[in-house]
Amino acid sequence: MTSKLKAIIAGTTAVAALSLAGAAAAQEYKIGITQNNVGVDSYQTTYEQAFISAAEANENVEAVVLDAGGDVARQIAQIQDLIQQNVDAIIIWPTNGQAVVPAVRQAKNAGIPVIVTNSNIAEEGFDFIASFSGPNNIQQGASSAELMCEALDGSGNIVQISGQPGYTTAIERQKGFEDRLAEACPDVTIMETQPGDWNREKSQRVMEAFLVKYDNIDGVYAGDDNMGVGALNAAKAAGREGIAFIGATNFAVGYEAMGRGEYYGSIYQSPVDDAEAALQTAIDVLDGKDVPFLNYFETPKITQENMGEFSKPVF
Amino acid sequence: MAETRLKQLGGIVARQGILIAFALFLVGFAVFSESFSSTENLTSVVRQSAIIGVMAIGVTVVVISGNLDLSVGSMLSFATVMVVDLHDKIGPGPAMLVMLVAVLCLGCLNGFLVGMLRLNSLIVTLGMLSAIQGLTLIYSGGQNVDIADQEGTWFALFGRGEILGIAAPIVMFAVLAVVMQVVMSSTAYGRRVYAVGGNPTASVFSGIRRSRVVFSTYVISAFCVGLAAIILGSRVMGSQNNVGQGYELLVLAGVILGGTSLLGGSGTILKTVIGVLILGFIQNGLLLLGFAYYVQWLVTWVVIILAVWLDVAAKRGRLFSPIA
Repeated sequence: MTSKLKAIIAGTTAVAALSLAGAAAAQEYKIGITQNNVGVDSYQTTYEQAFISAAEANENVEAVVLDAGGDVARQIAQIQDLIQQNVDAIIIWPTNGQAVVPAVRQAKNAGIPVIVTNSNIAEEGFDFIASFSGPNNIQQGASSAELMCEALDGSGNIVQISGQPGYTTAIERQKGFEDRLAEACPDVTIMETQPGDWNREKSQRVMEAFLVKYDNIDGVYAGDDNMGVGALNAAKAAGREGIAFIGATNFAVGYEAMGRGEYYGSIYQSPVDDAEAALQTAIDVLDGKDVPFLNYFETPKITQENMGEFSKPVF
Repeated sequence: MAETRLKQLGGIVARQGILIAFALFLVGFAVFSESFSSTENLTSVVRQSAIIGVMAIGVTVVVISGNLDLSVGSMLSFATVMVVDLHDKIGPGPAMLVMLVAVLCLGCLNGFLVGMLRLNSLIVTLGMLSAIQGLTLIYSGGQNVDIADQEGTWFALFGRGEILGIAAPIVMFAVLAVVMQVVMSSTAYGRRVYAVGGNPTASVFSGIRRSRVVFSTYVISAFCVGLAAIILGSRVMGSQNNVGQGYELLVLAGVILGGTSLLGGSGTILKTVIGVLILGFIQNGLLLLGFAYYVQWLVTWVVIILAVWLDVAAKRGRLFSPIA
């Protein structure tokens, strides 16, 4: 009798607890995000704005939005704060893929799923994260390589201006580009690669040196449009024509130059899509849905031909 | 006899060490890279050096007075973002004017803190380095700024145009260098700046108003940053919020390479011009030779440290410190 009663009580409590949990889930997820360095560039600034408005538009989500200001130590402290606040999920845009792994592990041990956004963390941290949401930078590099083959009809000499040395996005785009180029059009030769540090003025300087050094440049691949436009500036100033410029992360200046026919192509990557994908991935994880470990969002090729399908980037 | 001659030769090498090293580098680059000594490339390096050079002229004046200015990098970001942003809103002329007023205010703030309040210039300008970066982000909201009509604006003159057949940035750099060299070497103001840096106490006893002189050096430095921002903004026709990041070190490197003592009281504008050109040619030469970027960093900074050593050794008259 007593044991039966106990079982009934236990059963009803469990059901009550379950329904309560269900109700709580439908009501609100508290999702914390710690970003890399808002304000350092337009992409990250737009990302934050998009994330906040996406979270506000979703009544089931309460967002705690933090920014590490590019400082790893601060980001680790922010992850620990979010664990203390007992948020339901943590989204992290790593300042340093390696250094944040221990903090991510703490979150996992505290039972809080971690979603990495935009740039992935180091491989040894993969066991501790629920999903990565972001662009496929290797694929982007490969797409740029295909654009280059197309622009040069399969043969020619090019130079490459890469992003900031040591930055995952820079490394992956360069690798994707070089591997795919060798495969898709082996007759296109990369004469030299130098970093432009994501900086337009720096890449303008690098391109000026390239133009002096080589008189046979048929194409330029830049790790993003900001640098690509710097290279274009240099070529225009030197009066060199017939060079195909191909970038990635389409910027407003690149979009406009494409419209004028000065810039061949780029990869369209929207910070709004990036932010919304990160939030959706976090919600899907919390809803218990099956989320792919590498959850890439679409970053299509853009050239003068199809640019009408895309709105001009806001940055 | 032979020994004294050797000693004299050693003295010359030590005194002119930087120029000799520069000459050796130039010859080396010219031998190993065909394109290095082309007129096109030489012009291009001087043009690229103009931005750092214009800033370095201002910083030289600050350093001669015995202080430092590390805020010039983020001040350049601020000024460039501002002039580019305002260009499309109020037109190129007013944009440059408003921007110049704004950076001169920042210079006055630096000058007030270091000159009037006598705070340590390293700490003040290091603080201003971050503070102005923050100000830039507040101003722009983190967004990149661009000039819409790049072909049609006369603002293009400063970074892309030519004056009497010479690239405009080079002309601006040269005119500023000559004017400031004359001011520093042949006017009472220039002598006061040297006096304040060389012996602050004595300068005060000779009736020089030290606070005002120090204040004015920061205003000059800020003005130079404003000019550099006009060249940079016009050259790129857009700006990122961190475009000047790290420039403070390159500028200081140019000043040091020119042999201006960080202790104050010595140095000349023309030597700074040479220092900046050395820096520009080394970076360009290494790039043309196809060295990886990390080798460029390494070589550039090894050269700078060697230059400082040679400079100190020349003043001491021996390579190693007499006190171990």
